[in-house]
Amino acid sequence: MAVVLEVEGLKKKYGSLEALKGISFKVEEGEIFGLIGPNGAGKTTTLRIIATLLTPSDGKVTFLGFDLKKHPEKFREKISYLPEEAGAYRNMKGIDYLNFMAKFYAKDEAEVREFVERAKRICGLGERLKDKVGTYSKGMTRKLLLARALMTKPALAILDEPTSGLDVINSLEVREMIKGFTREGVSVLLSSHNMLEVEFLSDRVALIDRGEILDSGTPQGLKEKYQASNLEIVFRSAVQ
Amino acid sequence: MKNFSHLLIKEIKELVNKQLVISLVFMLFIFNFIGNVTKSEIKKAMAKQKIAVLDLDKSEISKNIIGALNMANFIIEEKSGEKEQVVKELRSSGLDLLVVIPAGFGQEVSNFRPGEVETYSYLKGISMTGSRKSEIVKALLQTTNEFLSNEYLKKKLPDLDPKLLKAPIKSREFVVVRDRMAEGSTSAVIGSLYAQSFILPVILMMIIMYSSQMVITAIAMEKQNKTLETLLTVPISRTAVVMAKMLAAGIVGLLSAAIYMYGFRNAFSFNTGDIAKAMSGVAPILKQLGLTITTQGYALFGISLFLTILVALSLATILGVLAEDYRTAQSLTVPLVFLVLVPYFVSLFADINTMSLPAKILVLAIPFSHPFFAVQNIMFGHLNMLWLGIVYNFLFVVVMLYWTTKIFSTDRVLTMKLKWGKRKVVL
Repeated sequence: MAVVLEVEGLKKKYGSLEALKGISFKVEEGEIFGLIGPNGAGKTTTLRIIATLLTPSDGKVTFLGFDLKKHPEKFREKISYLPEEAGAYRNMKGIDYLNFMAKFYAKDEAEVREFVERAKRICGLGERLKDKVGTYSKGMTRKLLLARALMTKPALAILDEPTSGLDVINSLEVREMIKGFTREGVSVLLSSHNMLEVEFLSDRVALIDRGEILDSGTPQGLKEKYQASNLEIVFRSAVQ
Repeated sequence: MKNFSHLLIKEIKELVNKQLVISLVFMLFIFNFIGNVTKSEIKKAMAKQKIAVLDLDKSEISKNIIGALNMANFIIEEKSGEKEQVVKELRSSGLDLLVVIPAGFGQEVSNFRPGEVETYSYLKGISMTGSRKSEIVKALLQTTNEFLSNEYLKKKLPDLDPKLLKAPIKSREFVVVRDRMAEGSTSAVIGSLYAQSFILPVILMMIIMYSSQMVITAIAMEKQNKTLETLLTVPISRTAVVMAKMLAAGIVGLLSAAIYMYGFRNAFSFNTGDIAKAMSGVAPILKQLGLTITTQGYALFGISLFLTILVALSLATILGVLAEDYRTAQSLTVPLVFLVLVPYFVSLFADINTMSLPAKILVLAIPFSHPFFAVQNIMFGHLNMLWLGIVYNFLFVVVMLYWTTKIFSTDRVLTMKLKWGKRKVVL
C-alpha cells in the first residue's frame, strides 16, 4: 500500500508547554488510521498541524510527497478536515452550504454538482437540506459536516472526534458513513477518546498520551500484544 | 480569484442578514418620525402666531407698535381690562404670549423718556414655537426702539442723518486667505464653509464605525459558529480570506452608512438645495479666496478616506481575532469608537492648526484623524499636512495589513484571545 501521509518527529510547543514530543506515524492509502488517547493527549494538535491550522515547532510532515512547511496549499487542496466542534453557517440552507464548500474544490460547475450530489447521498438529510442550518439538530449538523468533508473524495479525510456529542443512533450512522467511504479509496485519519469506536472503525491505531505515541498497530495486533479484550485495556496497559 | 469572489459573495450575504435589514429599516422609520415631528414643529413656529396685546395707553405710538406686530406675522387678539386680570386669564387660554403697553407709554416716549413695554411668555413646555415668539417680540421692540430714537434725533438735530450719528464708523470687511484677498464678511465665509462641511465628520464617523463593526462581527461570528477552522483549511490563501472579509465589511459598512445618512438628512432637513441657497451670496467670495475644492483636492480627500477605511478594517480584523464570540466583539468596538470620536469632536469644535504641539501630535497620531481635517487642509493650502497624513496612513495600512495577514497565516488566528476576566491578551 502506498503511504499517503508521513509524520516524523513532530513537535509542538505552546510557550513552555510541550504538547507534542516528537511523534511519528504513517497513513496508507485507503486505510482508516485512528489516534486514540485521553483529552489533552495531543490528538487535536496533531490533526490541526496536518490540516495546516497550526505550525509545527519541529519535525516533518509529508503528504503525497509534499512537505507541509513548503507547500501547505497542496495539503489544503487534497485534505478535508472536520474539527471536533465544527459548525456550519447558520443562516445558510444546508444545500447552499454544501454548494459553497464544493466550489472551493471543484474545477467547474459540473464538478460542483457532482460533489453536492455525493454529499446528499452521504448525509441522507433529504428535504431538510432546503432548511437553514440554524434549524438543524446537533446530529444533523454533524452529518452535514461529515458529508462536506467527504464529498470531494479527498486523498485524506481528517476527522477529529467524528461522533462527538452525538446520540447512539446518530453515532452508529456516522460510523457507517465513514467506514463506507474508505471503500472508495479515501484515507482517513481520525481521533477519538472513545476507544471502542476507534477499534470498530480503524485498520490501524496509535496510542497517544501526553504528546507521545506509546504504541501503534492493528487493533487485533495490539490486543494480542497486551493480552487485552479491547483497546481500553490495551491503552491502560500501555500507559502503565 | 474565482475562490476570492466566491468567498466575498458569501461574506456579503452573511453580513446583510435579517437583523441588519430590520435595524436599518427601523432606523429609517425612526429618522422619518423625528423628521416629521421636527418639520411639523418648525411649520408651527413659522406659521402666523396668535398673541394677546393689552393696550392700556391707547396712544398713537402704542397703535403703531400694534400695527408693527401685525406686520410681523402675528395675529393680534386685543385684550381689555385690568392687567392682573388679563395675565391671570391667559394662564388657562390657548395663548402663550402677552404684550402689555402700560398707560402713559406714549406720553413718556413723546417726552423722550424711556417707555416700558411688558411681555409675558407662558411656558407650557419646551418647543421651538414658544421660544421663537419671545425672540420675535424682542426683535420687534428693538425695531421700535430704533424707530423712536431716529425720530428723537431727527427732531433734535434735523440737519443730521440719525444713522450716521449712531454709527459714525463705516467698516469694510476683507477676508485674507494665504495670498488672496476678498471683500466680504468673515462670519459669512466661515458660516458658509461650516454649512458645507458640518455633515462631513458625521459621514466619516459613520463609515469608519460601521465598517469596523462589520468586520469584527464577521470574524467573531466565524469563531462563535465554529466555522473559522474549516474555512482556514479550504484551498484559498489566508490573505484572500482576510481581504474578502475586509472588502465585504467595507462594502456593507459603506452601504449602511449611506442609508444612515439618507435617514439623517431627511430627519434634519439637510439637503444640497439649502447649502446652495446659503452659499449663493458667498460663493464668489469663496472662489476669489480659493476656498473651493478642485478635482485634485477631491482625489486627495478620496485617497485619505480610502486609506483610513483600510486602517479601520485592518485594526478591526485584529480585534475580531481577539474576540471569542459576538458579544465580546461588540465590546471590542468601543476603543475604536473612542478613537473616531476624538478627531470628530476636534474637527467640530477646535482648529487643529492652533492647538498646542503635543495635543496636535496626539490627535494626528490617530490615523482616523486625517480625513477629518483633509478638506480644511485642502482649502487652506496646508498640503504638506495633508500629504503627511496620507503617507502616515499608508505606512499604517501597510504595517497593519502585514500584521493582519501574518496573524491569519499563523497559529495566532486560533490562539489569540482577549480574556476579559484577567484583562490579558493571550498570544
